[in-house]
Parts: sequence; structure tokens; C-alpha cells
Amino acid sequence: MKFLCLECNTAMKFKESKTPEGGSLTAIFECPDCFGEIAMHMNPWETQMLKSLDVQLGGKSETAPPMQMVRSFLSDHKEGTLSSSHTPQPTSSTASESEEGGKCPFTSVVADAFQAQESEPADLVWTEEAKDRLNRIPSFVQSMAKAGIEEFAREKGIAKITGEVMDAARGNFGM
Amino acid sequence: MKTYNDLPNDGGSDIAGQVTRQLSRLEERLKSVRHTVAIMSGKGGVGKSSITANLASTLAMRGNSVGVLDADINGPSIAKMIGVRGAKVDYGANGVKPAVSPLGVRVMSMDLFLKDDETPVLWEAQTQKDAFTWRGTMEISALREFLSDTEWGVLDYLLIDLPPGTDRLPNLVDLLPSLGGTVVITIPSGISQLVVKKSLTMAKKLLNTPVIGLVENMTAYVCADCGRAEDMFPSGNTEEMARQFEVPFLGKIPFDPRLSMAADNGNAFVEEYAGTPASRSITKIAQKTESFFNRKI
Ligand SMILES: Nc1ncnc2c1ncn2[C@@H]1O[C@H](COP(=O)(O)OP(=O)(O)OP(=O)(O)O)[C@@H](O)[C@H]1O
Ligand SMILES: [Mg+2]
Ligand SMILES: [Zn+2]
Repeated sequence: MKFLCLECNTAMKFKESKTPEGGSLTAIFECPDCFGEIAMHMNPWETQMLKSLDVQLGGKSETAPPMQMVRSFLSDHKEGTLSSSHTPQPTSSTASESEEGGKCPFTSVVADAFQAQESEPADLVWTEEAKDRLNRIPSFVQSMAKAGIEEFAREKGIAKITGEVMDAARGNFGM
Repeated sequence: MKTYNDLPNDGGSDIAGQVTRQLSRLEERLKSVRHTVAIMSGKGGVGKSSITANLASTLAMRGNSVGVLDADINGPSIAKMIGVRGAKVDYGANGVKPAVSPLGVRVMSMDLFLKDDETPVLWEAQTQKDAFTWRGTMEISALREFLSDTEWGVLDYLLIDLPPGTDRLPNLVDLLPSLGGTVVITIPSGISQLVVKKSLTMAKKLLNTPVIGLVENMTAYVCADCGRAEDMFPSGNTEEMARQFEVPFLGKIPFDPRLSMAADNGNAFVEEYAGTPASRSITKIAQKTESFFNRKI
């Protein structure tokens, strides 16, 4: 697959990829001339195909650790065997040469939110109070907020989302 | 508007390049392996893994440096049979260190990565249905990694224990065009022989891989009391089939419950019960395998 910026008739370059919840993958490509960006969303099925071939969007570093595929994707592997140097699949990779300029700060958040809507991770519980508060947030940012709060909770190892957790999360991403 | 071919690359992912690099890494690794041998059958449960384990031990006892790759990603059994079950995998700078059996056979198997006996091989995917769809591709990727990312070192022989069926051999040959040869296992039952013909056709005619020879396993039951050999399956004729396919017949291995017992204990049957008919037969198969390669040079 190759991407062309129709405006500039220039080949677009891979910029970064994200793996939001739901097993999908989002790849962002940028035009080197006008810095226009597009996001390509791959469904879980397409994403799994990349995984199973053990290739990565945006290229793979030459120094990929040995048995990366087995270590990353074997669901239930032996304790200790892999932990010492277990490197989980990065959830976000960025093309180094296009670090600066042209990045839409919302693309990634939107991409996350887009995914959060269709997946309902079962590991987190929302209290009634927290649900109420979430419902009072304007609907167009609701899913984004929900994803953000859940991400925050997961990072902190919190299983139940309460009003306090929402407050703490708000401080975290400026809601 | 520029077309596909006008654009120099895929924008930095270089998917094609990644696949090429995977394969050249594999090729590089196998430069220090002199001979690769795939053990296959048509039907399951005919003794591929048992024979692989014992052939490896025999070759090692005869002074070769030997590795075994358990290509049965889903149903790994070699690690247990060869006595390295529970070994810890170590990550070296240059790859993963194989487990080493008491006879010095270097082993890589999915078994070494699984948590416990009950753990099935499951791949991470969004749903188990997805995982199932992609299982085959995941397995081939795992096989490639086992080949290329194991620190095999210098080996005379790398034996590859294939899962049952004919479908994995083409995958293996894709990864390993230089495959030295296949040893095909059958038992003397009519059904096994029917299916093994498909394997022979696949190996010989479709893939053009050298067939080292055909082995008949569980030929006869040797009575422990009187020592008399009784046929277990009267119907097939493996030697005749070998002639028909113009492949060497490597020998018959009688049924011996101690072979199964030794495997359960992780001991090398050929060492523990050296001199038994089954052990002698396996030694002959090892000799014929050696001379298959030595003749070629
Ligand atoms: N010659 C023999 N005498 C006695 N038992 C044997 C003999 N060969 C194999 N067995 C036993 O038969 C069973 C199946 O053997 P094995 O697992 O080696 O077969 P396989 O072809 O590798 O099976 P699969 O197709 O499942 O990989 C094992 O319990 C093994 O111990
Ligand atoms: Mg087997
Ligand atoms: Zn442009």
C-alpha cells in the first residue's frame, strides 16, 4: 500500500502508528510538502494479519529482539521465562525523521476515542455516580473522555472508576 | 496523478523489505548447520516425535552435533521426550539459547515457552475466532523465529519434527529452500499407508525435496516373555511402497512399550535400552541418514 497526497502529487510518509483498544491499528501518514495528514484505520482482522506476519508499520528496527513474535503474541507464556527481557509490542511507534512539524494534536486522541466507542473492555467497573457524571459530559467528547479515564485507571492499576478517579484523571489530561 | 509504480516506496514501512530481512536472517543463522532433516508422516500418532528424539540422541551418541526443532507448534512433545521439559529459555545477545539434553542435543520447542502442562498454545487476538483464523500464519512466523532466532551454533544435523499432515512441509520448504531431506514415517496399517503416499507425493513430486527414506514404525510386537514377534497391523507393505515411489526403505521399528516409557521419563530409549531390536533399528536409520548426506558430498 502506498499513499499519495493528491494536492501536492507527493508520496506520503509514514509518521506514526497507534494500537488503541479493540484490536485495531491506526497509521498516520504525512505529506512531506504540505504536512497534510491522513489516518488509516485498520480493522482487527487486518491488524492481526500484520501481527501474524510479524511485520510492523513504519518499519522495524534492525535490532528487533529475538523471537519477538512468539514473545509478544503468545497469550499465556511461562512466568519468568520471558519477563527478564520481555518487550511488549510498542503501542505507539513514531517515524524518527518526521518528529517535528505538521502533527495534528487531535488525531491520536480522536483515533483512540473512535475505538473506545466500539469496544467495551470488561476489566473496568464504573460506579453509578461516575456513569452519571460521564453522561453529563457533552456527547461528542464523551467517548474520548471515557477512553482517557479508562486509560488513566489502567495505568494506575485502578479497577473501579469513581468520581475521585475521574477528578484525578481530569487533572491528568486537562478536561 | 502519480500511480503506484511512480511512488518510490510504501512511505517508510517497507513491508516487503521486512519480510526479506526476516528470511536473510534465517539464511544467515543456518549457515552453520550442515544438514537439515524434516521428519514427517501423513497421519498423526505414528511416532514422528519419538523417532525424531531417538534419532537425534543416536546421531549425538555417534559424535555429531545435533539440534532438534519442534515444528509442532500446537502440540509440542519433543522437549518432554528428550528430557528438557521445564528448561528455562535464556536470551543471549544473538538469539535464544536452546535447551540442551543430557546427550547434548540442542532443542527448541514451543513447550519451553508455555506456562504449564494445561496451557494450550493461544495467540493474542481480539477474539478467539480471529486467533483461529490467523493461527496458521502465526505458526509459520513462530517456526521461522525458532529457526532463525535460536542460537544453534555449529550443527551437523538439525532435525525438524513436523506436525501430522502434509500441509506444513510446503511452509517449511518456503522458509528453508535448502532443506536437506525428509524422513517419512508410517505404520503398517492400510490407512496410514494411504495417507503417507500423499506425503511422499508432496515431498518428492510437488516440492522436489530429497526423500532420505521411509520408516515403518510399530511393525511388530515383541513378546516380553517369549521374545516372539507378532505383526501388529497385517495389512500394509511399506517396503513395496518405498519401491513404488523409488525412495530408500530405512527400516522397521518394532513396537516396544519401553520406548514409550523412556519418553515419558525424558530418557533416551536408544541409550537406556541399547541393543534392543528397536534401538538397533533406530541406529541403522541414523547410519543410513549419515550416509545419505556423505554420499552426496
Ligand atoms: N515403536 C514404538 N513402540 C512403542 N510405542 C511407540 C513407538 N513409537 C511411538 N510410540 C508411542 O506412540 C505414541 C505416539 O508417538 P509420537 O508422539 O512419537 O507420534 P507422532 O507421530 O509424533 O504424533 P503426532 O502426530 O501427534 O505428533 C507415543 O505415546 C509414543 O510413545
Ligand atoms: Mg509429534
Ligand atoms: Zn501535500
